Amino acid sequence: MKESIYRLCCYVENKPGVLARIVGLISGRGYNIQTLNVGPTEDGTVSRMKIDVLGSERVVNQIILQLRNCVNVIEVTSRRR
Amino acid sequence: MKKSGQRTGAQALVEGLAKAGADVVFGYPGGNVLDIFDAVRESGMRFVLGRHEQGCVHMADGYARSLGRPGVVLVTSGPGLTNTITGLGCANMDGVPIVLVCGQVPLDQIGTDAFQEADTVGLTRAVSKHNFLVKSADEIPETMAQAFYIATHGKPGPVVIDVPRDCQRALTAAKHPERVCLRAYHPEVYATPREVGRLAKLLNEAKRPVIYAGGGVIAADAAGDVTALAHKAQIPVATTMMGIGSIDERDPLALGMSGMYGAPAANIALSEADVILALGVRFNDRTTGFSPGMSRRAKIVHVDCDASSINKNVTVHLGIVADVKDLLATVDSRIRPAEHSVWAARLAAERAADEARNPRPCAAVLPTDVIVATDVGEHQLWAVRNVPHVYPRHFLSSGGMGAMGFGIPAAIGAAIARPGHPVVALVGDGGAQMTGEELAVAVEHNLAVVFVVFVNRSLGLVRRMQDEEFGGRRFATDLVSPDFVRLARAYGMKGVRAKGVESLPSALARSLKSKSPTLVEVIL
Ligand SMILES: Cc1ncc(C[n+]2csc(CCOP(=O)(O)OP(=O)(O)O)c2C)c(N)n1
Repeated sequence: MKESIYRLCCYVENKPGVLARIVGLISGRGYNIQTLNVGPTEDGTVSRMKIDVLGSERVVNQIILQLRNCVNVIEVTSRRR
Repeated sequence: MKKSGQRTGAQALVEGLAKAGADVVFGYPGGNVLDIFDAVRESGMRFVLGRHEQGCVHMADGYARSLGRPGVVLVTSGPGLTNTITGLGCANMDGVPIVLVCGQVPLDQIGTDAFQEADTVGLTRAVSKHNFLVKSADEIPETMAQAFYIATHGKPGPVVIDVPRDCQRALTAAKHPERVCLRAYHPEVYATPREVGRLAKLLNEAKRPVIYAGGGVIAADAAGDVTALAHKAQIPVATTMMGIGSIDERDPLALGMSGMYGAPAANIALSEADVILALGVRFNDRTTGFSPGMSRRAKIVHVDCDASSINKNVTVHLGIVADVKDLLATVDSRIRPAEHSVWAARLAAERAADEARNPRPCAAVLPTDVIVATDVGEHQLWAVRNVPHVYPRHFLSSGGMGAMGFGIPAAIGAAIARPGHPVVALVGDGGAQMTGEELAVAVEHNLAVVFVVFVNRSLGLVRRMQDEEFGGRRFATDLVSPDFVRLARAYGMKGVRAKGVESLPSALARSLKSKSPTLVEVIL
């Protein structure tokens, strides 16, 4: 299946361990994170993560749905780069 | 000085357990968790001491699966926690609600390689639904409430709470929340009216429909709803291993479990159906061996509370993210009574022929309300086909993980959860040597469990794979096993020997009558 780079934009609760959980979910399936950028939002209790991953649409959709299942993940969007 | 309303973090934690309705704790003590143990002692809550932390988690798992309420585990830091990983992974894969509390070194020692320190949050991340590291006693009441909420809402699963020793000891006046509100976790999911309409239309127009029921049906306590739908529209029901109990097997519409080791009628139904209503299944081909050929022409409707499981292993015609029970209640008024007499008769004939070919003498001696826990291996496949399947939550098996060692402790957990029900464990001589130490728990609590150990002096299922896939080059699958009858007696329980499966029914019948822990060794 055709692979492309997708940028996932995750809004997450700003708590310890959340980054590790999200990175683990992606890397645990054997996908490489190409870029990772984490920063605060205006709401100090929420962080934004921008994650670039290479994968097929099907796999990336699966990752997004699993990210949404995470207890600390507020919202995930994605677009193909 | 203690101010009013104050108690230790450990006491607040045990209050949280009681508030969540927990009545039993399975666990194993150690230095970093003793404050919580002391609070459990003080509370008078029932405590069951396992003999290995893996056993404790499988017991809590058997308790939760058979009762439909979360199991509670309490272990110490470091090795206590690492010993729970298999149990957690097993519960996580099968969506079993467990709350596991674990001691931790004091906060200021975390990260220093302190004695019996382990990175609990890191270690359990991949085998739990969620985990918490408590940072102060004040957080404990809320964390407990959240843990039980997460464990039991959405797709259930294990939740781990890591509690440093100083937080157990510190005083807190924090109150238990009345309601849990999680900012980012909203597992309530509902079908849209359009989806309900499409589902009703598909079912109403189907010529050869089949319901394919999985563990999600059991978890949602929706077996009655599945059976009602099946009756109303005369739809036969096949199950996965995890879905066993979704319909009473004596029902004319019940086809049995599908898969390579399953019932032919169930496999035929799935391969020839025009509409498959898949409820709470994962389309996981390993669960039962290998998946049957799903009809390519069939329109598959997949209902699951977990959006990520839809279109994961099989691409479906219609995916509905909803609670199975809710959805069946919603769609009910739109379903027209129907007959599929030719289709149903064909499947019923297949079923009858299969039953005639495979008599089940063991099922005949087991009461219909027996709870059966299996281990993993050849005997597990035998168990599926040879015990009665009447009620949901009465067949307990490690489906997703296939964890050997599950059977004995899970049976003990079920016996504690549902006193008065006959409980039977069916295990191989391999698995019996993984968690056999828990037999002591059955003796200590005088649980009327019958432990059946199938002794083939081999890791049977793996040997079979070597025969089939490795040209018969058997290696590392011969097993030297103890005399299980003497082992049972050494533990202080009855031990009896049955020569061959032929003599199992009479041995089972006798052992069930004795109402005390018994081990039946079946020499194959
Ligand atoms: C913890 C664990 N280790 C290894 C396996 C792989 N495995 C699957 S079945 C099996 C053999 C089980 O042997 P036994 O318990 O004697 O049961 P039998 O197949 O002989 O009925 C093994 C080793 C497993 N499922 N779980």
